[in-house]
Amino acid sequence: MIQIDNLTQQFSNGKGIFDVTFSVEKGEVFGFLGPNGSGKSTTIRHLMGYMKPQKGQAKIKDLDAWEKQAEARSHVGYLPGEIAFIDGLTGNDFLNMIGGMQGVHNKGRRAELIEKLQFNPKTPIRKMSKGMKQKVGIVATFMHDPDIYILDEPTSGLDPLMQKVFIDLVLEEKAKGKTFLMSSHSFSEIERTCDRAAIIRDGKIVTISNIHELQSMQRKVFNVTLTKQEDVKAILASELKPEKIDDFVVQIELQGNYDTFIHILSRYHVKNISADEQSLEQIFMDYYSREEV
Amino acid sequence: MNLSLYSQMMKTNVKTFFGFGIGSAIYVTLMTSLFPMIEDNMEEIEGMMDMFPDALLRALGLETFNNYGQFISAEYYGLFYLLILGVFSVMMAIQLLARFVDRGSMAYLLSTRVSRAQVVITQILVLISGLIIIHILTFGAGFLAGEFLIETESTIAFSEFFEINFVGFLLFFAVGGYSLLISSMFNDERNAFSLAGGLTFLFYGMNMMGKIVTDIEWIRHFTPFSLYEPGKIASGDADVWLSCIILAAIGLISYILAVFIFRKRNLPL
Repeated sequence: MIQIDNLTQQFSNGKGIFDVTFSVEKGEVFGFLGPNGSGKSTTIRHLMGYMKPQKGQAKIKDLDAWEKQAEARSHVGYLPGEIAFIDGLTGNDFLNMIGGMQGVHNKGRRAELIEKLQFNPKTPIRKMSKGMKQKVGIVATFMHDPDIYILDEPTSGLDPLMQKVFIDLVLEEKAKGKTFLMSSHSFSEIERTCDRAAIIRDGKIVTISNIHELQSMQRKVFNVTLTKQEDVKAILASELKPEKIDDFVVQIELQGNYDTFIHILSRYHVKNISADEQSLEQIFMDYYSREEV
Repeated sequence: MNLSLYSQMMKTNVKTFFGFGIGSAIYVTLMTSLFPMIEDNMEEIEGMMDMFPDALLRALGLETFNNYGQFISAEYYGLFYLLILGVFSVMMAIQLLARFVDRGSMAYLLSTRVSRAQVVITQILVLISGLIIIHILTFGAGFLAGEFLIETESTIAFSEFFEINFVGFLLFFAVGGYSLLISSMFNDERNAFSLAGGLTFLFYGMNMMGKIVTDIEWIRHFTPFSLYEPGKIASGDADVWLSCIILAAIGLISYILAVFIFRKRNLPL
């Protein structure tokens, strides 16, 4: 459904994307991960036909995304990363305009989505909060029932409750056989919905793998609070190689070896465990250190 | 063009169109209402005008002053009209393209099956619709005021007053054209505005300078403003057809180029 081959675009400052290659199959939810400025949006801009590739090609349903951009876009529901609306419109004005441009005249789906996301479309857009604007954008993206969704950082600005509503919406569409490309800078945002993910850094694809592989590669850090000094000493000597960060707190880094962790901890009296999410940067660091080895 | 985009753009900008149109109409009406008074005191006024340097009178189009057409050309179409419509054309042309690209909202206009060419053509039609609304209001107000406020036989002929407005419309069809062409090339709204506004100001200034300093009259060949001489249209001395053709051609070529350039360039959305 989406195919990107050796896509290259270098900007005058030397940044850009270089030989980006990946494809998204029908019915798949594909995550596109990378820190800010890594080239996610640039890649997506090529898919939407906003830029002409210097080298390579981006295709949607076998249509060249530059040469046949309007036709290619007709299959796509696009949620831009930075939502910039037109001055002076209400939510309804905006949705009417985009709906007309999409060629949708049935407002049933739109009403259903507004109901689901719970916002008032009569509000002027300039008076809306960031989250509300994001909801208007999501309705515009989903209301014409496209086959392919391209979502640039879709959950930014949404509260956790709405994030869940959004994820349910994605899963619902996925069940209908729809295809998704979703960019994000946080792993946890996409791990609940994606099948596969590509990681991009400095304009180059670092890896493309199954989401479960990425999950197992992800290291997690636990802060374990114990009650006795001798327990702290014993754990520090164990194969978990923890670090002491406070009198009674040790920090343990795990990467897949959860069994050992539970086994060892079961011998002591544990007062508290808290988990730190590993940032995407750390996942990249893992890749780089692995490449160096 | 795309009808949904057009109607929303018209809805968003209709206040601006009517604001400029009504402002222009009121000005024409006010000036027209002054004409009977001027006409009654024509001798004194002509005597007073003899004291002004010729260059100034030429610049303002005040050389002859004996009928309504020449009066309204000098008092409105030769000066304020050019400023008001110049501001309008440049401002709208920049707002309709460069602003959307600069702010990123163009991403939404280009998120559907509507092509870039269709988006630009729609925006061009919005700009032209605005110009038409303003000119209809101005022409209508001037015509009605002429009918009801002026009782002498020196009332301007309908066809000449129409020509003054029609050639004026084509002048700003051309000014809007090159402004929209600039608007289609820039990612930065302010740069586009500076260039289109600066160019318009320069063209206007060149026309003025050419009229004031007869030695450099040739520079008027390089500005579209010289093709619009409302005073001469009123006295029947202007080559209206030639002006119309050249101005329409400048506009059309600019709009076509704008569509081509916007279709082919990378957009930072």
